[in-house]
Amino acid sequence: MNRLIKLTFLFSALFLAYSCTDLEEILEDELTSQFADDGVTVIEGATDGGILPPGSLLASYSGLRNGTAGHGSYYSIQTVSSDEQTIGAKGGDWFDGGIWVRMHQHTIGSASGPVNDTWNNAYNGIGEVNLALSGDLSANETAQAKTVRAFHYLRLLDLFGRVKIITALGGDAPQSDRITVFNFVESELLGVLGIAAVTGSMDLSGSALGTGSEPYIVNQFAVLGLLAKLYLNAEVYTGTARYQEADWAATYIIDNGPYQLCGVGCSVPNLAQRPDVASDPDNLEGYAAVFAPNNQFNPEMIWSIRYDEVSAGGMNFSQMNLHYSSQLTYGLDAQPWNGYQVLEEFYNSYDGADARKEANFLVGPQQDFGGNALLDFAADDPDLVLDYTPAINELVPNSIRQSGTRAKKFSFQLFGRPNMNNDYPVVRLGDVYLMRGEARARAAGDWSLAGPDVDVIRNRAGLAPMAITADSFLAERGREMFQEATRRTDLIRFGKWGDSWWEKTNSDAFRTVFPIPQNQIDASGGSLTQNSGY
Amino acid sequence: MKNKLLEKLILPVFLLLGSIIYAQSVTGTVSDASGSLPGVNVLVKGTTTGTQTDFDGNYTLDDVASDAVIVYSFLGYKTQEIAVNGQTVINVLMEEDASQLDEVVVIGYGSVVKKEITTAVTSVNVEEFNQGVISDPIQLLQGKVAGLSVYNKGGNPNTTGTMRLRGISTVGGNTEPLIVIDGVLGQSLNNVDPSDIENITVLKDGSAAAIYGTRGSSGVILVTTKSGKAGQPLQITYNGQFATSSIGNQIDVMSASEFLAAGGTDLGSTTDWLDQVTRTAYSKIHNIAAVGGGDNANYRVSVNFRDTEGILENSGFDQFNARTKFSGKLLNDKLKITVNSSLTQRDSEFGFTEALRYAVLYNPTAPVFGVEAPFAFNSDQFGGYFETLGLFDSFNPVSIANQNKNVGEQSTLNYSMDFKYTINDELSANFNFSEQVIKTTTRQYYPTTAFFRGGALSPFDKGRADFFTSESRNKTLELFATYSKSFSDSFDFKFTGGYSWQESDYNDHFLSLGDFPPGIDFDFSNQIESSQDLLEAGQVTARSGRNDDDRIIAFFARANATYDDAIYFNASIRREGSSRFGKNEQWGYFPAVAIGADLNKYLELDNVDLLKVRLGYGVTGAIPPGVGLSQTTFNVDPGASGFGPSGTGQPTRTPNPDLKWEEKREINLGFEFNSGSWAATVDLYNRDIVDFINEVNIENIGDGDRQFQNGGELNTKGLEISLNYDVVKNDKISYNTGIIFSTYKTKLVKNPGGDRTIANLGSPGQNDTRMILVREGEEVGQIWGPVFTGEVDANGAQILADLNGDGNLVTDQGNALAEDADFAVLGKGLPDFEIGWTNQVTIGNWDINAFFRGAFGHSLVNTFRAFYEPIIGSQSSYNFINTELARPDITSAQFSSYYVEKADFFKLDNLSVGYNFDIDNSYIRNIRLSLSGQNLFTITNYTGSDPEPALQDFGAASNADFVSGSPDVLAPGIDRRNNYFTSTTITFGININF
Repeated sequence: MNRLIKLTFLFSALFLAYSCTDLEEILEDELTSQFADDGVTVIEGATDGGILPPGSLLASYSGLRNGTAGHGSYYSIQTVSSDEQTIGAKGGDWFDGGIWVRMHQHTIGSASGPVNDTWNNAYNGIGEVNLALSGDLSANETAQAKTVRAFHYLRLLDLFGRVKIITALGGDAPQSDRITVFNFVESELLGVLGIAAVTGSMDLSGSALGTGSEPYIVNQFAVLGLLAKLYLNAEVYTGTARYQEADWAATYIIDNGPYQLCGVGCSVPNLAQRPDVASDPDNLEGYAAVFAPNNQFNPEMIWSIRYDEVSAGGMNFSQMNLHYSSQLTYGLDAQPWNGYQVLEEFYNSYDGADARKEANFLVGPQQDFGGNALLDFAADDPDLVLDYTPAINELVPNSIRQSGTRAKKFSFQLFGRPNMNNDYPVVRLGDVYLMRGEARARAAGDWSLAGPDVDVIRNRAGLAPMAITADSFLAERGREMFQEATRRTDLIRFGKWGDSWWEKTNSDAFRTVFPIPQNQIDASGGSLTQNSGY
Repeated sequence: MKNKLLEKLILPVFLLLGSIIYAQSVTGTVSDASGSLPGVNVLVKGTTTGTQTDFDGNYTLDDVASDAVIVYSFLGYKTQEIAVNGQTVINVLMEEDASQLDEVVVIGYGSVVKKEITTAVTSVNVEEFNQGVISDPIQLLQGKVAGLSVYNKGGNPNTTGTMRLRGISTVGGNTEPLIVIDGVLGQSLNNVDPSDIENITVLKDGSAAAIYGTRGSSGVILVTTKSGKAGQPLQITYNGQFATSSIGNQIDVMSASEFLAAGGTDLGSTTDWLDQVTRTAYSKIHNIAAVGGGDNANYRVSVNFRDTEGILENSGFDQFNARTKFSGKLLNDKLKITVNSSLTQRDSEFGFTEALRYAVLYNPTAPVFGVEAPFAFNSDQFGGYFETLGLFDSFNPVSIANQNKNVGEQSTLNYSMDFKYTINDELSANFNFSEQVIKTTTRQYYPTTAFFRGGALSPFDKGRADFFTSESRNKTLELFATYSKSFSDSFDFKFTGGYSWQESDYNDHFLSLGDFPPGIDFDFSNQIESSQDLLEAGQVTARSGRNDDDRIIAFFARANATYDDAIYFNASIRREGSSRFGKNEQWGYFPAVAIGADLNKYLELDNVDLLKVRLGYGVTGAIPPGVGLSQTTFNVDPGASGFGPSGTGQPTRTPNPDLKWEEKREINLGFEFNSGSWAATVDLYNRDIVDFINEVNIENIGDGDRQFQNGGELNTKGLEISLNYDVVKNDKISYNTGIIFSTYKTKLVKNPGGDRTIANLGSPGQNDTRMILVREGEEVGQIWGPVFTGEVDANGAQILADLNGDGNLVTDQGNALAEDADFAVLGKGLPDFEIGWTNQVTIGNWDINAFFRGAFGHSLVNTFRAFYEPIIGSQSSYNFINTELARPDITSAQFSSYYVEKADFFKLDNLSVGYNFDIDNSYIRNIRLSLSGQNLFTITNYTGSDPEPALQDFGAASNADFVSGSPDVLAPGIDRRNNYFTSTTITFGININF
């Protein structure tokens, strides 16, 4: 009996240890007090619209998003290796084993991760197209898909030169030389236009492609834009100049396309307008409107890659370019990374009156959402106010956190998410004008012939005509095409790739192409060989 | 002749008469060294007359012939025979059966006498287990089994340790040993309370594990739970433990004044952040068990309560576990039925280890609360807490620990039924069926005011709630029969054959959403309908996964033979198929053979009890880490408006219908030696792991760039020694000491993925900085990087060594493997050798147990130092690490040999002192009180928190990212910033036997 009592006592003590005498009722799933809404109204649909490609081709088109406007792949290697932007090692931040320093200084090796990722993105995209082509497509859809694939190969031709031309899912092919890749891209593009060659009097009526102005869908003008790019660089790729054909292709677009430069009166609401900051404009007009988050109906777009914060992610410029504190200027959803900085010389090449300067760069002291000074608690100087300075003190190791102006051509919107809404141009009319001008000048060996087309572009930027030389043309093209990943290609075409700029001095001639990624060579069983020099 | 005949006739008559004449009663008490012994079988020899001792050890036998012999027997004790010789009171002192050689060891589908074992098997009994607060059963074995490494870095009570038996046995496969609980395969160790475990046996080599075929590659751990004994009266045991833990080693950081002197940004306060987020933790454990049994049945029922607190604020768990074990005999004792069931309900508060990380690197002059900020600060936005704005990867640790919630519940239920039918003395058959169900729920809630993951700064999208649930079911059915026969005095033979079927079904769901109404202190994870995300396409993340009918089917057979009681032979084979492999290669054979001989039987050396040599060879397999790896996976584009019309997608993983079993072929040579107070075991092994499964990069030609392949090869060679010595052993004092030693080297013989570097250091600023070398023909786990010369340049950058002396310094990560690279092996992630040193002392009623443990030869990358020790100007609002190695002249971060530290250590892992009170009244038999300390001191030069080896790597995570779920076993040696901090625990224990 005694034992039972002891046991009872023991169990009771245990029970007490695991319960309590608190009888307070807790309603965990009911609100028991009132609350206010956050009061933030997000304009629905401001960045939506535009006719989407057919379902059978969605994956083919969306393959283009990868790396085109994000960090670590195509955009990054095209841009950081040029004199346009860099990624300084900011103390402990962004050193990343020196890969970006080497990318900027042209000293990378074949193990470069971003180069391998670029390769993978391209072949993944090609795989998507090959998969789509193995299905049941209409003639028009087939032509669209082939154009997307040719665009991937155009990039590979430009980046690596010698690649495998894979035209069916699961099929392998030998590594082609650069001329063969050029010929393949050319014949594919001519094929979808239904012509044997680009001429001044070509008849595209045999093409399966349309002529409508939906920028997410490849039409005849988009293909001609790609051909203009191809022919403009033909001398670099093959040793044979094809400027006349570049001129004809561009001229056909300008003369026959339903496009117009976005200038005076061409505007969209400014989605970055802060409610309490009077100096924020109501609208973005002209050049700035072409790249705004709500640029989906811009009349200048011939072919653009659709990005969307929800359904079409991959554009991350706000993250890549902005300082951590700039999150508070726009009320961004996520903290930016403080990575990409614009080179001082490049920024200074813009005239003060150039409308593109305001559109392209974030510079000077910054403000928060309410218009007050924006602070950086870890500022390198005693002044905590975040101030983007055009000068960058050094590339490595202690590039000042706020140094370098920041690219904002693809402009930000209030409450923006890490994935932005701005569409990214593959072919746009402004570029077509510049390509035509350059092609005419080069074909004739007379830079003044580029004048009329350059003037169109400068006029839109609010600038007077200028005297044109190869150098001044390259500078103008740089100002216009900033952040559109053409700068590396342009520098190579103008023979400036080996020049020294800022902290870049290497002039190795073989670096006009990137190395074939070592990962791919290792995995290829000997069927891929390295580009010479690497 | 006549005389003899006469004797033969007369003696029985005399005896018969005597028995009639002298029939009498015998009473007495049976006890052992610690007191009276209930349940002892007392039997008159040669008759069926018998009884059992009662609760107090008393017995009475009536009608006993005065010349009879009485047999006293009890499991675990030496059987005694005592002649009555007319005595009426016979008190017996039972002696424990210390003969370890006759100990029976479970080996899978049966058991075998220890001396007959021909393979590398280590058996650890309850009295040898580690003491103190042990939440994870495998921790009972830490340092006790030569070749078994168990490390729970930092000792987070909510994580289980990483186990490695003889190093890594696979790269892409399942790296953890197979757990078998009371004969049932693949059960969760989490469903066994450490208090209920009687014995853990580890099958180490291939010849031992091959009977388990597929999952035997990483070793097999057999757990036997405590059970009742036949004929034992009810006995109740209570075990209680009360513990207090405090933070052990921590990482040295600057104080507020040192920080300011180093140029840090002054935010006006002085805060010891580690102190703010850690605490003295209290834990309670209660275990109550009842055992008993009658003639035909016995049982054990136990309940366990654990309330364990972690040293991190708001971390710990409550656990309830109940286990019952019932065994009964039917059909004239021919059918034995055993039913086991166990239920565990665990409520965890995981807390946020990130709070520890940010406590290390947060500005020591920052205030905890915003009202103390040196400038205008909107505290309400952050729930009153201060936050440093404009910084990457910087969050108020107190806010993380206190505002957010990271909790989970797990319930595990399993039952098993085993039917053993003994057909005759030679043949028996077993059938068993078991099922295990694990349901897991985890929830995280970040209120609208949480800066860390809660989006407090976001104008919209404030607050976040994550939910994850999973359910896994596992069914096992096994049939096997055992035939044993003695062919002559000198030849015994045993054969076991059977069939095994297992099926696993798994499903999970994940939901993440946010944008809750701000300005109200409410846990919206209980009312997610308030989430504005439900109105916003794409902001709600929902995922689910399911894989069913994941099956393994096997047929197996084993033969054991013993000749002359000195030569032992064992052979087994298992044919096994798994649904996880490629269509063409689902089945594999796993054979093993082993032989052993007790040479002493023939040499008859003086003072030697055993001198056994054994040699075994076995093949085991490893199962792939997931289902469907041989098949194509597709990346489906969700279309334009959420889930649009596009159903197309491109393969991201190339199929491999030839994905097959990886095999581990292991040869083991062992020596066992017993001589008086000495015992020694030495094992030497060589294992080749061929065709290991790994996901490799393949050339991208548009149909995927990854594929699971066989093709790699690993080789491990190792040596294990265990020594045991009874320094003193008599009635009053005993002192036993034992040392285990193990060493191994694992080489990557063939590497299908190509030479590469892995294990990225991470953000800020050290992405694409891979610290571990994976190179064919070399050892696994080499830390790889540039070498610091000790000189610093004018920029505050380390001057790195031109190792190859070519005048060209190549230290960028892109060229880490280039021919002219100035990279070197900076250390090894895996230890050269590990030791465990056990000391058990008994003096009268006192017992003392001291256990030391060490690992030597390994290094760790101290990532805290690599990121935060350089005095980086732009980092002036993070605190600086300030170890004895800190150099103020280094002002830029660069991974190098400087951050790779030797982490040899030797620690007093466990010290416990106990006292037994012999109460022995009618209520309480005895009471034991004990006091034990865990992790009392560590001798090491490592400057981080915990020098224990990091056997695998979960990768980098920063800026509120989540740590990835799958570890890389090829990347040992990295001490990441998200580890828990070590603690020292003092436990008071009480044990009462009623």
